[in-house]
Amino acid sequence: MLFGFLGPNGAGKTTTIRVLLGFLQPTDGTANIFGLDCWRDSKRIKRDVGHIPGDLRLPAWMNGATALSIFGAVRGRDLMRSGRELAGKFDLDLGVKVRQMSRGMRQKLGLILALAHAPRLLVLDEPTTALDPLMQEVLHQLLREMAATGHTIFFSSHSLGEVEQLCDRVAIVRDGTLVADEALDALRERAGHDVVIRWKVESSMLGFEPPAFLKLARREANVWQGRLFGPVKPFVDFLANKPVEDLRVGPPDLESLFRRFYEHDEESR
Amino acid sequence: MNRGLIIRAFRESWPTTLVLGLLLIGVEAMLGFVLPRFGAQMSQEWLQMDFARGIMQAMLGTEIADRIGPQMFQSMAWVHPVVLALAWAHAIMACTRVPAGEVDRGTIDVLLSLPVSRWEVFFSETVVWLSCGVIILMGAMAGNVLGSLALSPFQRPDLSRTLIVLLNLFCLYIAVGGVTWLVSSLSDRRGRAMTTVFLVLLTLFLLNYLAQFWPPLERIAFLSPLHYHRPLKVLGSGAWPWRDMMILITIGGAPWFAGGVIFSRRDLCTV
Repeated sequence: MLFGFLGPNGAGKTTTIRVLLGFLQPTDGTANIFGLDCWRDSKRIKRDVGHIPGDLRLPAWMNGATALSIFGAVRGRDLMRSGRELAGKFDLDLGVKVRQMSRGMRQKLGLILALAHAPRLLVLDEPTTALDPLMQEVLHQLLREMAATGHTIFFSSHSLGEVEQLCDRVAIVRDGTLVADEALDALRERAGHDVVIRWKVESSMLGFEPPAFLKLARREANVWQGRLFGPVKPFVDFLANKPVEDLRVGPPDLESLFRRFYEHDEESR
Repeated sequence: MNRGLIIRAFRESWPTTLVLGLLLIGVEAMLGFVLPRFGAQMSQEWLQMDFARGIMQAMLGTEIADRIGPQMFQSMAWVHPVVLALAWAHAIMACTRVPAGEVDRGTIDVLLSLPVSRWEVFFSETVVWLSCGVIILMGAMAGNVLGSLALSPFQRPDLSRTLIVLLNLFCLYIAVGGVTWLVSSLSDRRGRAMTTVFLVLLTLFLLNYLAQFWPPLERIAFLSPLHYHRPLKVLGSGAWPWRDMMILITIGGAPWFAGGVIFSRRDLCTV
């Protein structure tokens, strides 16, 4: 599964990840991964977890090969082969020292180190920030392949477009609180479609009111403009035999839904 | 302990160990040669002055009136401020690597995302610290032996007694390192941790030194770890300073353990 974790800057995304990885103790409640406590059983959990922090920094003296060798020694397994394969996909020279790498190259190395042991759970904190669009696509493809083979990817981002393109399920965090956690399709349904109906007659002459699933923002002359919530079918049924001259239904507008989550819109919760 | 972490720590520690080790070899070789060679001249002229005798006594931490001779000058090589500064600098650098150094350079997140417990990190770093400590102090010993090769047999130090002094110095090194671990565990900035330990050591060094000149300080001189490193006594008698060594190990061990407990329990991440 590809799980998107969304929230604006300072919402608590990185803090949540740090609690999950046992860097921080929760001030309240507990965090569990694989049914194990994230603080007490942190070592066991991390055997099957790959992580790339949002602000990745690696020792400057290392090169890719040394890093793979040392990380492999720590994990008690040889990561060289899988690391080389990943380096090929990301087009990274493993002989270059971290101090000579650009930010994008360091990010690629971080991803290789997080992916090389094929973890059951991959926790990525804004992993594409320093990658060019080509490499972002390579990463997306890799993540899709991993998800298809049963791995779980926890993908933290503040970019809705990226999460929308990649994830099956999304959680939204705001001010340290989870305000949504559902399948992307369900969110799309909740988000609503922008709708514009042009009637053949003046609105005042219609003799009926909009149904509950259609919230009008503008009603003027012969035009209704608003948002359709829920599935499209009841809306189509509603319009049947009505004097419709023109109709425009936009795609689900996740952007505005997320904006509402972000902007403390109590109604949306 | 974890093999990968030990390899990583060694690879990051060897440049400091090499530089400070070479410096210790050089300084000890020079002191080992110069001090006994010119000792006779010094005792005739310089040490006749009360002030100079006071300084010498302060450095050696013991009364020297009846001990002026080759052993006094040999022991000077093990309490010389430059030798102590180099050994302590190594202990401070090695023991502030984790967690203060890792947080400071922003690599703690990567380190802690590896499948190792914090105690494993702590023990692995401790093993590397102590191993490097043995290496640089063996370097000091080698330098001292090298320097004394040019002396007449009468002026050369007894090797077995010098080894006891070296072990005593290693205990002092452990004491400094242990305190440093504690400070590092409480800190997120390596520079701040190093400065704190440096100031504490300077204070304790001055306490031990000034206690020789100012009687009120004599009563609290036991608080300084240097009070338990007295090579002149060891070189003179050849007796093992078990009590001093145990006290130094306790001074180092208690804060080291406290540092480990704090490190294993505190919130840690890049700041």
